[in-house]
Amino acid sequence: MTDAKTLAYINLYGILGALENLCELDEEASKLANVKKPLSIAFSVKNGPDATITFKNGRCRMEQGVAPGCNVLLPFSSCEKFNGLIDGTVTPIPVKGFTKIGFLLNNFTKLTDILTKYLRATEEDLKDEKFFETSTKLMFYLITVALSQIGNNDEIGRFSASYIPDGIIEMSIKDSVSATIRVKDHHLVTIKQKPESYRSKMEFGSIRLARDLFDGKVNAVACIGEGTVTMSGLINMIDNLNRILDRVALYLA
Amino acid sequence: MNIPVYENHQKSREMFQRATHIIPSGIYGHLGPAEGQFIPVSNWPLFAEKAKGSYMWDVDGNKYIDYMCAYGPNVLGYCDEDVDAAAMKQIALGNCTTTPGKVMLECAEVLVDTVNTADWAFFAKNGNDATQGAIMCARAHTHRKKIIMFRGYYHGVSPWCMKKDYPGVLEEDVCNNIVIPWNDIPALERVIEENKNEIAALIAQPYDHGNFYDNSFPAEGFWKKVREICTKNEIVLIIDDVRAGFRLDLAGSDHFFGFEADLICFCKALANGYNMSAICGKEFLKSAMSSLSYTGSYWLSAVPFAACIACINKMKKLDTPKMFFEKGTKLTEGLKLAGKEHGFDLVVSGAPALFYLRIANDDSMVLHQEWVAEMVKRGIFLASHHNHFINASLSDKDIKHTIEVGEECFKILEKNHPELF
Repeated sequence: MTDAKTLAYINLYGILGALENLCELDEEASKLANVKKPLSIAFSVKNGPDATITFKNGRCRMEQGVAPGCNVLLPFSSCEKFNGLIDGTVTPIPVKGFTKIGFLLNNFTKLTDILTKYLRATEEDLKDEKFFETSTKLMFYLITVALSQIGNNDEIGRFSASYIPDGIIEMSIKDSVSATIRVKDHHLVTIKQKPESYRSKMEFGSIRLARDLFDGKVNAVACIGEGTVTMSGLINMIDNLNRILDRVALYLA
Repeated sequence: MNIPVYENHQKSREMFQRATHIIPSGIYGHLGPAEGQFIPVSNWPLFAEKAKGSYMWDVDGNKYIDYMCAYGPNVLGYCDEDVDAAAMKQIALGNCTTTPGKVMLECAEVLVDTVNTADWAFFAKNGNDATQGAIMCARAHTHRKKIIMFRGYYHGVSPWCMKKDYPGVLEEDVCNNIVIPWNDIPALERVIEENKNEIAALIAQPYDHGNFYDNSFPAEGFWKKVREICTKNEIVLIIDDVRAGFRLDLAGSDHFFGFEADLICFCKALANGYNMSAICGKEFLKSAMSSLSYTGSYWLSAVPFAACIACINKMKKLDTPKMFFEKGTKLTEGLKLAGKEHGFDLVVSGAPALFYLRIANDDSMVLHQEWVAEMVKRGIFLASHHNHFINASLSDKDIKHTIEVGEECFKILEKNHPELF
């Protein structure tokens, strides 16, 4: 079972949040984000998450909350409505920023199309090495963000998080990307960069293996036995995080 | 001092690769590298060739002093001659037969004579069968649903005793569980008040021997008070003695801590590795136990009963609880001292017979994992975050060698972490 509120948090902070990484990893996306003047789009979901994405110099950054000076404001009356935007079944109506509607309809839509291509990659697309790498990195960031959102919002996820002691968990793909999951009083925050130090760590041995794990082609427990997935530090942090990880697939299916 | 360093696990790795193709996880459960927390896995053997006494040889020919004792069943020493002789004698007479062998009755008599709280004995195979049967018995007797447990509990792998976020477990499976902190009498009184006449049983290990944290004994007067509260509220008090049973006290761990359980569950140390478990209980619960539809194809097999009788008799003869206390104390004191000499604070908790280790110099357990990995590499089989077990065949020479290896590994740790000193 999944719930709309948790999904809305994943959709906003995880899916749309991955635009940050997309603009860093994909040249075409970077060009689309290269606006003359900084431009910000805010998403406000009733009884759900809020965030503002600011595009500037070919990059974008997401911050939680509705920035007071945002150029475009997209309100959603419910989590279900916002989730509809991500599904493509709901068309948003801005209440602010009609002069920037061109960016929303063109650049922003193209950016999300590119993102979708990477996150819903076909076997054919993945044959291209560069595409494969970018797609897997984006999946990694999405998953690490989803972990925190599920741990904070989903009922079963919160139960798992209630067993995670305070500290930093590092998740990484060897010789590739890393993320920090900071746990304080059973609240999880994902920071999409390597921590300076950690209390526990889980590492996937290669980007190929990470992809196979994400796609459910290999079994994580067997990989631990083979030594291709390694864990160290306070294992009960990872143990409980892995229970949340089980639920990520449910939400991202 | 000759300390071997094992670098070769080639056969283990090859066999594990084969296993992953046809067995989920390769090796699943607590004997596997994931749940067993082999960190890093490259230092551990994955398959055994043979075992004898306190030693296990892996498929690559490396010899280990095994302090995990198959996670408890090895109580007298692997392949104990007396237990194996009793088992072999029985196997020649018959094992899995249409009517149970007479040895079943003899085994029940031995258990009832040995276990303080036992008016009767009921047999099964695994610890989980025993805890599951005890819960069913309590529910049948009380006609109530709810079960009290202590945080950090482990009572087996049936859905009711797992957690709602475990794969394959439904919220409905665990919705009658009430979890309270260990050693917390006010919390116990509160949940009983909040669930008046709804609680069938309280199930607990005799002391908190959970993983990842220092093991904790009951506070002074704790079990006496719990016993009083359960009696007053007609709650069946179940002791899960699957892990600690017979290592603290042959009359049961409730006896060791000075109280009487209504039901007590045994498994690991019952028969020195022959597969059986048992529930022992008080007279007033015998009828409820009889009423259960609860059995299994091999539950009344004769060979384990014969092994059990031989095992219990030998444990009595050797006074193994006293022996385990002495051996465990000697070993852990030696390791603590070795750690101290190199600047490491090795915290030992739990009963010496089931000692739990933790290096307290960092809060991430990384130092502890590194030390354990070095120990395993030098033939001392430990687990990173689980209690260990003493068995009767462990010699003074084994203990001395383990302490020497321990010191060598602390020395390595000291050298590898100059930033700490």
